Amino acid sequence: MTEGTTPAVETSPRKISLTAEDISRLEQEGEIAADYLEALLDIADLDGDIDMDVEGGRASVSVIPGEGEDTAGGDLSRLVGRDGEVLEALQELTRLAVHRETGERSRLMLDIAGFRAKRRQDLAALATEAVEKVKETGEPIKLKPMTPFERKVVHDTVAEGGLRSESEGEEPQRCVVVLPA
Amino acid sequence: MLEEALEHLVKGIVENPDDVKVRARNLRRGRILEVRVHPDDLGKVIGRGGRTARALRTVVTALGGRGVRVDLVDVDQVR
Repeated sequence: MTEGTTPAVETSPRKISLTAEDISRLEQEGEIAADYLEALLDIADLDGDIDMDVEGGRASVSVIPGEGEDTAGGDLSRLVGRDGEVLEALQELTRLAVHRETGERSRLMLDIAGFRAKRRQDLAALATEAVEKVKETGEPIKLKPMTPFERKVVHDTVAEGGLRSESEGEEPQRCVVVLPA
Repeated sequence: MLEEALEHLVKGIVENPDDVKVRARNLRRGRILEVRVHPDDLGKVIGRGGRTARALRTVVTALGGRGVRVDLVDVDQVR
């Protein structure tokens, strides 16, 4: 799939205003996702609690270590996998499960054991650094290939830093370019 | 556990969950989980470019099924 080059401003979460109807639709997405995931945790005998939220115009569902589980993530890290590979697969399946129930394509965001939260922090730091360098030199900077989720975090951070960014190349080699003002 | 997990994952995404059957077969070359679905759902469990099938395999592997093969077939298919 080619998305073309999308200016970051269009996807900035602050631009999204939701109606009460949107919110209840997204909450319903979260409920369906939680049921699907909870049953999986049960079957696999994994200890986890599920948090639901609506964030940036999407349903957001997080699987967090269950109470009394003092190891950070513990067993749940199996559901994250190397570079979040398993997490992406589970998100894909969970979106399909939501789609089956609602008939609508879901953009639900799944996190497990804080993987995305941590990744988001690291990427925001990386993007901020790139923004500073671009402002200093006036030259564009091309970052390394990233997943759609990672690119979104970078685009948002760059927009907050007052610059624009674009994506170029084809998946899985698609990367963000930070542009000078 | 693997069969049950896979069955749950597939049932949740198809239009005909009652037709989903997962059977484990132990062959000399390793274990196979054979997933049978309604013919109308085969495209759905495979997904665009095999994306959904890949996601199912990734999760099965993560749940301890390293080396386990996941086959997707429709109920009319004789093997």
